[in-house]
Amino acid sequence: MTTQDLIEKIGLKALSKFEHRDVDGVFVSDMLSDVMAGAKSSNLWLTIQTHKSIVPAANLVDVSAVIITSGKEVPQDTVDLASKYNIAILSSDLATFELVGRLYGLGLGSK
Amino acid sequence: MPECQHQWEMTNIQFGFVAFEKCFHCNDLRTYFSAEDNPILGDKYREGDHYWSRVENAQTFTFDLKCTQCNHTEKFNDLMGLLHCTGCLPDCEVEIMRNKLEAEKTWIVVGFGFLPQAKTEPIPPRKLDMLTDYFNQRRDTSRSKIKVVPFNLIGDLARCKGDFIHDVGMLSLEPPPGRKSPF
Repeated sequence: MTTQDLIEKIGLKALSKFEHRDVDGVFVSDMLSDVMAGAKSSNLWLTIQTHKSIVPAANLVDVSAVIITSGKEVPQDTVDLASKYNIAILSSDLATFELVGRLYGLGLGSK
Repeated sequence: MPECQHQWEMTNIQFGFVAFEKCFHCNDLRTYFSAEDNPILGDKYREGDHYWSRVENAQTFTFDLKCTQCNHTEKFNDLMGLLHCTGCLPDCEVEIMRNKLEAEKTWIVVGFGFLPQAKTEPIPPRKLDMLTDYFNQRRDTSRSKIKVVPFNLIGDLARCKGDFIHDVGMLSLEPPPGRKSPF
């Protein structure tokens, strides 16, 4: 499954500029330290955090995309930094719990 | 026997806080890891000529790297954190290196040790190279790479506006409002 498949199947909104890539597994956390310690390359990272520090953390771990849940508004400086690093910032109006359910239904789980 | 081509994984992960303390007498800064549950801001005490006050706490974690091939474990309890270069100082060596390596899709992060020890005993390049290997081993390096560099490449620490990849203010769910550099 790719980021493009997810955008189409779940109706995610792409905020940054990025190249689509394969997705393998899902990691849910609102703490950078938790993500750096536990997320794996190609994971989707679900969070409600929107400030730009999420971008270098996502880049370090090499997640396939960051999905901002619950329709949180993402500041432009976060989007711009993500575009610079080719990091996918996607947005969903769904709450984290519901989005996790949808992703699980598509066959994604923790990796 | 050939040397082990280490394959690193994180081990001994412990969550806690980085505490930033400033002496309001001489303006010195010191940092340390604390595993306490409820860090206190503004905690003040005297130690010799210093009057320390805790000015910031950042949620973080400590870890070691263990080789899955040979079981060698390298301790990283001297790593305070990683700093994302924001390109604030055009004449800074980190910024010069960043500009050069960005063309090769290699992203730079700065490895910081705890202060003040790190000023006289910085984290050895050997260990920063291990960290670099760790981050690159778990990513598709045909897309991009990571390079961890020492903080003493930063020309003027007092003017550095790099962002620590720490959980400062993360629990408030608000962006840190114009956070000042602790240096």
